[in-house]
Amino acid sequence: MSLAHKLLRALDRVHPAPVAYAHCDIPCGIYDPHHAQLAAHTVIRMVELTGQLEHPGPNATLAQKEEFHAKLARYIATKEQHAEIYKQEIRILYGDYFKPEHLQQVPTLHDTVWKALKAGSKGRQEINLAAAEDMLKLANEIAEAFWKTKGIATFKAKAPYPTARETVYPKLG
Amino acid sequence: MFPLARFRVEDQSMEPTLRSGDYVLVNRWAYRSHLPAVGDIVVLRDPEATGQFLVKRIMSSDATAGFFVLGDNMAHSRDSRHFGMVPRHLLIGKVRYHANP
Repeated sequence: MSLAHKLLRALDRVHPAPVAYAHCDIPCGIYDPHHAQLAAHTVIRMVELTGQLEHPGPNATLAQKEEFHAKLARYIATKEQHAEIYKQEIRILYGDYFKPEHLQQVPTLHDTVWKALKAGSKGRQEINLAAAEDMLKLANEIAEAFWKTKGIATFKAKAPYPTARETVYPKLG
Repeated sequence: MFPLARFRVEDQSMEPTLRSGDYVLVNRWAYRSHLPAVGDIVVLRDPEATGQFLVKRIMSSDATAGFFVLGDNMAHSRDSRHFGMVPRHLLIGKVRYHANP
């Protein structure tokens, strides 16, 4: 069969065959790694805000103590929620978008996704800036892989958010 | 019209029978002399975008309603479960030959 395939592929270069789609999931095709990158930025920001929170001293009023605890609880809850969004978005890209043939373009994909999910769990469990930054670094690597499979070039720029970390964006238009 | 037409397969709905990157040769005259049969792999016009072609397997036929087609890889297939019975005039022909890398 292989020789026939070679001949047909050669013929395809001269006179391309129309494509017969063996279509997959119903709407197919609305994917973007940006959600995962954004969620990583949120986790970084929540860790930073938690660190900046001033601890009420022994002489603080009840209202001051309450405010501290309310803020701390909100930052941690938001951090955990967005770490979970991050993991969910990466699972969607990995399970639904990436196809076996993409592995030829991105042979490190399995390993990167594995590390990204592990970083997401660590970022969720701990108040750990290094883990949160790892989440973004790995989301950026997945974004680079994603846009590569789309044939779209990328560039790195500082994100226009308070986190200001380097982020991978597609060069569109 | 020459009876044989070439198509290149993309996507996964016909796995493991056909894989992305395979080529198929289709006999466009196959259904001149007899009706499409259950089990035939066919290339058809996408009922929802007739400028585009699909490759699926015929699972049942009904003289009035048309043909019910499914992908072999049912977990990853948009087919008659989604777009309903396919009318005869959308069938291009029967897959007669298949070349994989």
